[in-house]
Amino acid sequence: MEVRDIRDSAAQPPAPVFVARGLTKVYGSGDARVVALKDVDLDIRQGEFIVLLGPSGSGKSTLLNILGGLDAPTSGTAIWRDHHLTGASDEELTAYRRDHVGFVFQFYNLIPSLTVEENVRLVAQIASDPMKPGEALDLVGLSERAGHFPSQLSGGEQQRVAVARAIVKRPDILLCDEPTGALDVDTGRLVLAAIAKVNAELGTTTAVITHNTAIAGMADRVLRLSGGRIVREEPNPKRIHAEDVTW
Amino acid sequence: MVNVLDIKVLRDLWSMRLQVLSIALLVAAGVAVFVMSASNYRALVGAMDAHYRNERFADIFVSMMRAPLAVSDRLRETEGIGIVEPRVAKAVRVIRGDSVLPISGRIIALPAAGQPLLNRLHLVQGRWPDPLHPEEVIINSAYAEARNVRVGDTIDVVLNGRLQAFRVVGSAMSPEFVFATRAAVPLPDDRNFVVLWAAHDAVASAFDMKGAFNDVSMTLAPNASTPHVLEEVDRLLKPYGGTGAYDRSDQPSHRFLEDELAEQETLSVVMPSVFFGIAAFLLNVVTGRMVEAQRGQIASLKALGFTNRAIALHYVKLVTAIALLGSAIGLALGRWFAIAVVGSYHAFFRFPLLDAQLEPWLLVVAVLVSLMAANLAAASAVYRIATLAPAEGIRPETPPALHRFGWLQKIGNRRIPLQYIIVARTILGRPVRTLLTTVGIAFAIPLVLFGLYWFDAIDYMIDVSFGRVERGDAFLTFTEPVSADALYELQAIPGVLKAELQRIVPVRLRAGHRTYRTSATGLDSASELKVLRDRALRPIAVPSDGIMLSRTIARQLDIGLGDNVMLEVLEGSRSARKVTVRRISDDILGNSVTMERTALNRLMREGPVANVAALRIDPDQSGPIWSRIRSMPRIEGSSVKALWLALFSETIGGMVLIGALILAGFGMLIAIAVVYNSARVALQERAWELASLRIVGLTRREVSGVIFAELAVELVVAVPAGLLIGRYLIEVIASARASESFQVPAVIDPGSYAIAALLVIGAGVASFITIRRRIDALDLVAVLKTRD
Repeated sequence: MEVRDIRDSAAQPPAPVFVARGLTKVYGSGDARVVALKDVDLDIRQGEFIVLLGPSGSGKSTLLNILGGLDAPTSGTAIWRDHHLTGASDEELTAYRRDHVGFVFQFYNLIPSLTVEENVRLVAQIASDPMKPGEALDLVGLSERAGHFPSQLSGGEQQRVAVARAIVKRPDILLCDEPTGALDVDTGRLVLAAIAKVNAELGTTTAVITHNTAIAGMADRVLRLSGGRIVREEPNPKRIHAEDVTW
Repeated sequence: MVNVLDIKVLRDLWSMRLQVLSIALLVAAGVAVFVMSASNYRALVGAMDAHYRNERFADIFVSMMRAPLAVSDRLRETEGIGIVEPRVAKAVRVIRGDSVLPISGRIIALPAAGQPLLNRLHLVQGRWPDPLHPEEVIINSAYAEARNVRVGDTIDVVLNGRLQAFRVVGSAMSPEFVFATRAAVPLPDDRNFVVLWAAHDAVASAFDMKGAFNDVSMTLAPNASTPHVLEEVDRLLKPYGGTGAYDRSDQPSHRFLEDELAEQETLSVVMPSVFFGIAAFLLNVVTGRMVEAQRGQIASLKALGFTNRAIALHYVKLVTAIALLGSAIGLALGRWFAIAVVGSYHAFFRFPLLDAQLEPWLLVVAVLVSLMAANLAAASAVYRIATLAPAEGIRPETPPALHRFGWLQKIGNRRIPLQYIIVARTILGRPVRTLLTTVGIAFAIPLVLFGLYWFDAIDYMIDVSFGRVERGDAFLTFTEPVSADALYELQAIPGVLKAELQRIVPVRLRAGHRTYRTSATGLDSASELKVLRDRALRPIAVPSDGIMLSRTIARQLDIGLGDNVMLEVLEGSRSARKVTVRRISDDILGNSVTMERTALNRLMREGPVANVAALRIDPDQSGPIWSRIRSMPRIEGSSVKALWLALFSETIGGMVLIGALILAGFGMLIAIAVVYNSARVALQERAWELASLRIVGLTRREVSGVIFAELAVELVVAVPAGLLIGRYLIEVIASARASESFQVPAVIDPGSYAIAALLVIGAGVASFITIRRRIDALDLVAVLKTRD
């Protein structure tokens, strides 16, 4: 199984799983033309925990969306293992998301008419090798709330359901866009802990977008973006635990 | 400075343009049908009133054998009678070289002054006959058009057994002959019935009526009592062979016209009003949901500090713009169709002035109702949302307290794909909305059926009346009663497969103070060419004693089986006798009194005679058959079923069906608009959720399946419900609107149900396809950034 392979080879520097070269993304045209990403090169290694920092409009979300197969670059190449994400059809991108990517968003994006367990199972039912929904809920500490509807949960709980939903398929890559953006500190920490746990225990390559520099302490590597470029890369040899993050 | 919210109104209208257009068309269809139909009906009634007033249609009519002119003075002196117009009017035959069939007619003497005092003529073409030229006639314009007779043509008329050539100097319309009908034929047959107006002396001398009259029309004095006047007139004219005075309600043309108007009222007033009412309801549903779909925006505006009033006003402007756009389209369409439909009436209703009348109050009512329906829905939706705390409103609407329905939580069967669980919970968790949408779609179906129904009803009427009741191919009327030898003579003609004699005489039925004028038909007990039927179309045998009565007459006279009724024969012996009602028949076309022929002969104190023959003929030999019949001297007139049918579909059929087609067309438009809007709003409300499903990896197909399943469930419930509602409404309307001579049955063909159902399902599929494109194009990235 892939997860175990990663563990076995942990001693050597892992090979990059995601390679981007010259990524450029332009929205609109003419006067409305906005360059969201400019000529970005990026390698992400297997099992790495990356935090993307930067002000609004710096291109973090665009980069993450391209990485997750939600958006296509205007030019440049983005390759995940043997998947060419540039020029892929909608069907190919859907399959890529379905098989390899887990998402966590600022607004949770849970399906209101499905219970907690069903929201998780929704993804499990379309994945090829999912864990049991209950296991995923265990990982985020929400097994007891399995039968509730999202509207009966707090924001932090909803976001943990989103994390459970993202990981139930054993994704190769977990992408989180402002996962704590709508949460208070204590709830935010619980969500971050869940994400870190997935990264550590399942070896899932993880990328987290945040405005919050404090979270950067949890990362293997911090990428700072500005004006559509990666302006700085900071390796972080001393990762801290989620419970130590403060803001 | 332009209010920013007003800019938003314009932008919203543009961004929702397809939805706006579909709602506007819904309004337009309702307004157009209402305006067109109500205007048309009023145009007909207005034209009738004007014709009757301008041409001074009489109030009281009576014929007699022969009365000296002095008797008319006694009529004038009678209390309650106004103007008295005595005249000579006689049945004639017209011979035409190009017609194998004899044509029956009526010749009416004109006074020396030309224009009579009553029942005046509206000259359409030509001029008045010159009193010094007895060969000049005016003919009714219906016949002139049907037979293409022009001023200057000659017309050969058999007057009192003598052939005489007349010269046509003009054509005219008369309030007496808006519908030119005769006893044996239930429908006006303009090709085979002609009315001739000639100078008095020409007619009087031909019929030996100088100084006498055999027909009189009268007006009632103000406040006169009609029954009293009728009684007096009958008493006065009895010695002169009076056949019973009657008022307008029994005047053949007027009675037929009244029935036609009643039928038009159903088609033009009742159905369109129900139609418009339903359209207004659907508009209410559709606008309500459209506004509700803007929940997030409403809450945001409120959060910004706009008052409920200001927000409501904003949406009122939005829906008012849509309703006004729809009303404008509807008024334009309604006007256009009104003119087209009234144009089609000309062939049928012979009125001098018949123009589409768009009455301002109708337009005002139509527009106001549309505006109210739209705005009430919009305002109530806004208030519902605006009364929420803004914070709650801003959040997407979650299924309300799904957890309160424990069983909804349990329908998470592991074998059912979860996207269908979403569908089930959305539908069941919002029962009111689901019900409203479903009812909305269901009500679109009756609107389609309202139009299609008329096609079925007319087919059914033709099938029953001309296929199962009147089973002969042709009917002959004789100049005088004939005996069985006439039957043998007809049977001997090669190609005549069957011939039966009938005795048809005008009668008056009297039960207590109620009377009804009609004709009684004497049939042989083994009659095959005329078979009366009950409601289930089972044949009813002619009773050996007593009479069989049409249900409508029985109702009018308030009598039933076993009751006695006075039957007065209005010609010949003028005998009267009490008879017992032995059977009730359900007649669709015309109302009959039927008895055994010998019994009718006995009542009339005559031998076994008849005056009508029904024939079944071999169609391949119709040419030789008709040339034989034409040479028979006693034949007064004839009619051929195939020609009637052609006539029926040309006139009544054509006229009703134009209206029905328009109704069906607009019904379909509304059905499509409602279904499209339901699907569109469902997408609008669910876009966020659907995009979330796409993001987590569901394919376009799987995500579309959610909306498709929702729509499918609504359709599966709505379509059968709609068909039932349609059937029920049509039954109610048909039974409430049964007119005297037409019992338009509540018959709906399975094909019509299928068309209505398929149309709505088709609209569903088409809506789904357009929406599927929107689902495919959902902007996944944008969805992540907002919650609305």
